[in-house]
Amino acid sequence: MGKRLLIILSVLLIFLLVPIAQNVVKGDSGYIGSEVCKDCHEGYYKSFMKSVHGKKAVPGSPVNKEGCESCHGPSAQHVEKGGGRGVAIFIFGRKTDPSTRDSKCLACHEASRDLPFWNLSKHKSFVITCDNCHSIHGAVPGKNYLKVAEPDLCFGCHRNIRAQFNKQSHHPIKEAFVGRQALKCSSCHNPMGTFDVKTMIKADSVNELCYKCHAEKRGPFAFEHMPVPENCLNCHEVHGSNHSRLLTRRVPFLCQSCHNVAGHPSQPYTKLHSFTGPATVGKNKFFGRSCLNCHGNIHGSSLSNHWLR
Amino acid sequence: MKAKIIIFALIISLVPLSNAFSQDKMIEGEVSLKGIWFDVSGKESGKAKFTEYRDLREDGGVYGRARLNLDTDNYFLNFYAGDFGYDTQYYKIDGGMWGKFKFDLFYDEIPHNITFDARTPFLGAGHDTLVGAPNTNVATWDTFDYSINRRQYGGGFKVDVIRPFFLDVSFQRENRDGIKPTGAAPGTSDDFALELPEPVQYVTNNLKVEAGYAKKPLFLSLTYFYSDFNNSNAGLNFIDPLIAAPEAGAPNTFSLPPDSTYHKGAFKGAVNLPFNSKFSTNLGFSRTRSETSIVSLISSGFTGKVDTLNYDFAFTSNPVRFLDAKVYYKYYKRDNKSDDPTGVANIFLSYNISTYGGELGFKLPAKLYLSGGYKYVKTERNKKGETDPEAILPFNMDNIYFVDLKWTGLDFLDAKVGYEKLDRDAHYRTFDSAVNPARRFSYAAQNRDTYKATVDIFPLENLNFGLEYRYRKIDYSDTILGLRSDKRHELNISADYLIGKIAKLYGYGDYGWIKFDQLQQQTEGLVTPANWDAKQKDITYGYGIGTEIYVIPKKLTLVFQHNYLRSNGNVDYTLDPVFFTAAGGAGLDGIGANNANIDISRWDDYALYSFKIKAVYNFTKFLAASIGYAYERLRYKDAQLDGYQFVNPPGGPVTGTNGAYLTGAYKDQSYKAHLIFGGMSYKF
Repeated sequence: MGKRLLIILSVLLIFLLVPIAQNVVKGDSGYIGSEVCKDCHEGYYKSFMKSVHGKKAVPGSPVNKEGCESCHGPSAQHVEKGGGRGVAIFIFGRKTDPSTRDSKCLACHEASRDLPFWNLSKHKSFVITCDNCHSIHGAVPGKNYLKVAEPDLCFGCHRNIRAQFNKQSHHPIKEAFVGRQALKCSSCHNPMGTFDVKTMIKADSVNELCYKCHAEKRGPFAFEHMPVPENCLNCHEVHGSNHSRLLTRRVPFLCQSCHNVAGHPSQPYTKLHSFTGPATVGKNKFFGRSCLNCHGNIHGSSLSNHWLR
Repeated sequence: MKAKIIIFALIISLVPLSNAFSQDKMIEGEVSLKGIWFDVSGKESGKAKFTEYRDLREDGGVYGRARLNLDTDNYFLNFYAGDFGYDTQYYKIDGGMWGKFKFDLFYDEIPHNITFDARTPFLGAGHDTLVGAPNTNVATWDTFDYSINRRQYGGGFKVDVIRPFFLDVSFQRENRDGIKPTGAAPGTSDDFALELPEPVQYVTNNLKVEAGYAKKPLFLSLTYFYSDFNNSNAGLNFIDPLIAAPEAGAPNTFSLPPDSTYHKGAFKGAVNLPFNSKFSTNLGFSRTRSETSIVSLISSGFTGKVDTLNYDFAFTSNPVRFLDAKVYYKYYKRDNKSDDPTGVANIFLSYNISTYGGELGFKLPAKLYLSGGYKYVKTERNKKGETDPEAILPFNMDNIYFVDLKWTGLDFLDAKVGYEKLDRDAHYRTFDSAVNPARRFSYAAQNRDTYKATVDIFPLENLNFGLEYRYRKIDYSDTILGLRSDKRHELNISADYLIGKIAKLYGYGDYGWIKFDQLQQQTEGLVTPANWDAKQKDITYGYGIGTEIYVIPKKLTLVFQHNYLRSNGNVDYTLDPVFFTAAGGAGLDGIGANNANIDISRWDDYALYSFKIKAVYNFTKFLAASIGYAYERLRYKDAQLDGYQFVNPPGGPVTGTNGAYLTGAYKDQSYKAHLIFGGMSYKF
């Protein structure tokens, strides 16, 4: 029994010692310094030095550590072998394991104020890595070292959202450009993760998010319209719609989806109820803005329980 | 305007700070000036649609942008300014000391043009009192524009010098001014409609303060957010033409959004645990209060007050390289504590939503990533003061299952498929409500299936092709009357190809198909209730192609872009024959109506067509010139807006449910626009 235990302990000891020994052999001698990298990769070196990674004033920045090799690892062997893409050096690319790529960035950034909830991000779940969107070496002007400016960066993967923003009624995302404060994808979403694990919105609820820009809708109203305080998305699309005011469906059908069995909402309003149609009653519930011709305070009212005033 | 001047002066005063930078400063910037002339043919509303979110003058003008970036080892300062020459402009300056602090100041304006040259029989559009009485002579009506302008300005600073502690403070004020359409029913809603110009004069102030600690293994932050909303107009006063003596002629009031204040406090935290695990939490509490200026509400003692409470807890773990795990719980409560002692307004919605779920992700051999999970959501609603047993809202229980598979096994291809299923149960509180055949879609039981597939192909380093398909189907399983199904297909493709130093080609194509099925029953006006069904279909397709041709590399580039988008909607009705014969059948009896001639064929139908050609010539590395031409055309047709009439019936008398005084909101959105532009830009 004692002999067997001794063998097991010895095996364990060997397994523990091997990595330690490997590190001792490697030591720090594999690092060659950024100036050597510059000889062959001047463009990359310049972009690195120009970036926040190259600022000595930033505590913990790569330039204060191993320079280029903080992210790309020891490069002595890379130089010895005459260089070449990915030869004995860590590079950010498809052939490198995604979690290893992320771990390079997270080693410093995970503790930052901007990235505390990456563990919750849908992007992480879908194996979208930092270098899919960011690049220290080839970023567009602006913050966050994005490879392409918003919204085109996001549209690269979210093609259906791009299609929605092309529709005639849309939030003014396409009208934003670099430097402008206007609406961007990141105005509403945090791609780095939030507690809303699916849509990554920057709020505890959809309505809380919408009220940030549409404060007039938050009330509280004396006469609430029930679907409004529960979820704006009951009636509105977020990104774009063929129907004005970003409505999910055209009025009167949208309203009739709920108001469907009593009074004038229960009636069919057809082509014959248009401005020039021959219908004998009910036309003002169809033409123009339909139900909203009368129910103007549909988001809430201080005077009318039918939102007429 | 005053605010614009103050912000501009502040920004300009900060620019000399750049002189304080050391001699190792790096300065970059760009100044560009562009002359634009454009012509829009189309009615006034078409011009509003063309300039929906932009500020262009038809007689042309010279517009400009500027960017200045100063960067040293210790400091940075960035200045952006744009849209000189427009009424709406933006300025932004941000700077700071690397690793110590950052600040920013901004001013930004954006218009939202809805309809130009709208009309109203009243005088005073844009103000809180409309004078006069409706008349049928539209030629005498006042004209105005439906347009809203947002001006935002503010600033903030972030302090890092106390690292690992941090402090962020930001403030923003928004002034929103303009006119938007609204509507009121004089007398009762079963009489004629009265569309009104609603004045928008809002001021919103937002302040956010966040302080925290961020150092592995701990992240802690406390946030306080304050917002106040102020509406200069409590109500819109107008003369209700249907109010009889003795109050005839006295102003009637349409209420406008009340002033409100919003406070929110939140705590967020995360701690790293053994086995590559992490625990994260988010706790928040908010209170919103409204202050009404409506006399009847003040006298009734109404107080508007809503509290929300939110808890989030999440535990994630990546204990071994091939496994990711996540479990979470969320509780969100909206507690409407509004009070109305006299019972004028006594139905207030409160609800709470409990969510818990988990996800597992596996890294499998052959570069396969499999993830799946389950989420449970329970929504409970309470309408304070509700006495109608059938109106009591149900509570919902959602069971959501999902699975995704991603494959990156080839160097030139990524593929992903996914499926999500939602089963929603609706539990009604009373027997009456449970047996009611009518269901409101947002509360009704439903089965939802969503399928998606994506392929990204990059056979060459400079060639990318992507394809995405989604199908979603919702069956409202317990709904007999109401929205019964919602189905949609979406297909999207995109491609780009860089042909050496010769040209770049890019393009996309989109197809969308949406269908809703709705069964209704008319109870009013008919001796026996009769059913009707409406199938609404919406097909949207479009494409875009573009190319950049490097005629003389790094010197002369030609750009060509073409986009096309078409939407085709229709509604297919099937009505019980009684609608066409019996009196009271929605006004369809006795006019030759039948199921073949009532369908709506123009339902937000539009075709948006555009192309642009541009030439860019770089005289030097720093100086460039561009010239171009763009054409854009929108053809919009819609059953609700075609043949628009401000007075219904034309010439009056305006009465009954065919009657309306309208203002022209959203009418005639078609346009055809030509733009010629040219400009110079200088980089340094």
